[in-house]
Amino acid sequence: MKSGYWYRVWREFKKNRLSVAAGIVVVFLFFIAILAPLLSNDKPYVYIKENQIYFPIFYSHRDLDGIDLRKAGHDGFKIFPPIKYSYSEYDLDSIVLPPSSKHILGTDEQGRDIAARLIYGARVSIFIGFIAVAIYVSIGIMMGAAAGYYGGIVDLIISRLIELMLCFPTFFLILTILALWGPSLVSVMVVIGLTGWTGIARIVRGEFLRLREMDYISAAKAIGVNDAMIILKHMLPNSLAPVLVSATFGIASTILIESSLSFLGFGVQPPTPSWGELLNQSRDFMDFAWWLTIIPGFAIFITITSYNLVGEGLQDAIDPKSMKK
Amino acid sequence: MKKYLAKRILLIIPTFIGITLITYLMIRLAPGDYTSLKAGLQGEIKAGSISKTIFDQERKLYGLDKPIVVGYAEWLFNLVKLDFGKSRKDGRDVSSRISEALPITLTLNIITIFIVYIISIPLGIYSSVRRDSTFDRGTSLLLFILYSLPSFWVGLILVMFLSGEEFLNLFPLAGIISEGMENAGFFKKLVNMGWHLVLPVVTLTYGSFAFLARYTRANMLEVINQQYITTAKAKGLSEARIVIVHAFRNSLVPLVTLMATLLPGLLGGSVIVERIFSIPGMGFLTFEAILSRDIPVVMAVESIAALLTLVGILIADFAYALVDPRIRLESKI
Repeated sequence: MKSGYWYRVWREFKKNRLSVAAGIVVVFLFFIAILAPLLSNDKPYVYIKENQIYFPIFYSHRDLDGIDLRKAGHDGFKIFPPIKYSYSEYDLDSIVLPPSSKHILGTDEQGRDIAARLIYGARVSIFIGFIAVAIYVSIGIMMGAAAGYYGGIVDLIISRLIELMLCFPTFFLILTILALWGPSLVSVMVVIGLTGWTGIARIVRGEFLRLREMDYISAAKAIGVNDAMIILKHMLPNSLAPVLVSATFGIASTILIESSLSFLGFGVQPPTPSWGELLNQSRDFMDFAWWLTIIPGFAIFITITSYNLVGEGLQDAIDPKSMKK
Repeated sequence: MKKYLAKRILLIIPTFIGITLITYLMIRLAPGDYTSLKAGLQGEIKAGSISKTIFDQERKLYGLDKPIVVGYAEWLFNLVKLDFGKSRKDGRDVSSRISEALPITLTLNIITIFIVYIISIPLGIYSSVRRDSTFDRGTSLLLFILYSLPSFWVGLILVMFLSGEEFLNLFPLAGIISEGMENAGFFKKLVNMGWHLVLPVVTLTYGSFAFLARYTRANMLEVINQQYITTAKAKGLSEARIVIVHAFRNSLVPLVTLMATLLPGLLGGSVIVERIFSIPGMGFLTFEAILSRDIPVVMAVESIAALLTLVGILIADFAYALVDPRIRLESKI
């Protein structure tokens, strides 16, 4: 496979240092999202006391129930995660504190640790980004493939459908649906998924229209390969590259849409943390608590920029014009 | 060309029906009758605290007592007559509420688009002429970063640091005109409004430079590689003349057609920006309507915006077909 198409794409992609750096950030954020409970938790990984060994994060030990091991009086060997707070834990004695050694990114109006909420917020934002894009890529591929392969009346109907979706003011549409049907993690993903598929469908349709005229497809038809096989095995793999690029940009814009929705109070509902929701909460304290505004926004910015840069790099890498160089 | 025109116009009809049908169904089929918010919850009716008559009147007012098909047909008929019904909030005509909000959004967006064009196009042209120079790479990275900055964040930061008492108090916090300035002289009023619009316009513009500048640059690069540009160079014309008269004129076409697609955005307004800066435009109106479930307003704004986009797409298609004969020819086959 060393000379395969995707290997060549990877080789081209590697040449763009900025995109590679952005790719590393993307992977890093992905791990933060997956490992959130291990990075920020009010329990230690390991706790050794009187020859007893506990793993409070991984197992719940009955004799540790209701005990806060961070407090004095619980001696013994303890290893804590980097952030010693859970995302929902409030402390009314330390509300709206600026960054300090105790709370590295400060606290919000309920005394919750911003770093912890940011880490869990990454989970929500990235999770929504991936699932929503997965939904619309699937719909888009099906629609685009059907339109491009069968043409005629199928194409006419699907093209009208695409045009129709393009006409709607998407953001208003999403807001209305969420307002009427109730905002939640699932509904945000589904609504973005159902409204976002047109771009992918247009790309796949275009690719299929082009591939349909190729000799190898005529050959496959001539020897009696069935439609499903031609679409899935012979045409789809050859049209995936632009879909991948579009999906990468799609994750960036989905994260942006999700955070805008949460910012307006129509996204993920409290107490689940999301970056947009953190920004929304910050509005009441804007005149003095700069960290509440600056930090979550910066997280959104870094994430969106990274996905966009990876998308750019991929776009250049799959472009045959730049490959000849 | 006529055949192409006719075909495109006929195809609007199914799309128009689709748009209105989706708008209607989305709201009609939503769980929890939307009249319930005003007339009281279903439970309260059963408990007897709210009379069934009021509830029924509400339902009747919004056509909810009729079957879906009839309700849709009636709404569609009124829509075609440009009768959008009455707002639930204050009982006024939806059209009069829209006509109050529209000029504000329109002003904001026209200024925004003007600034975006006036900055992006020269940037794009210059980048294409000095391709791969430090300037080209630098601006492309800068614009890329601007493009990736979430507008609600930038809006908040601008408000935080440039208005209000804590940091620099340079700009007003909210609205489009200061209190008591409504009756001031024309010039004074203009200055006051301009002062209010600085931050919203900055928030609306900065992210759009990237797209248009890159678009211009890509189009220019395509033109610059044409043989007639080489000819112009060989004739010894000055670089400025080649770039502006020969190259740019030919890359104008996609830019003009791009304008057509901007039409709906021009009227739609930005919920985020209008909300952050408390500007009573279309975005604000729609958002308030969605929050308070003022359904007639929501349905009107959404279907109008969708129809305008449809018209915008149509104009863009025609403009392309006018300029590029291949599109017309293809559709004949």
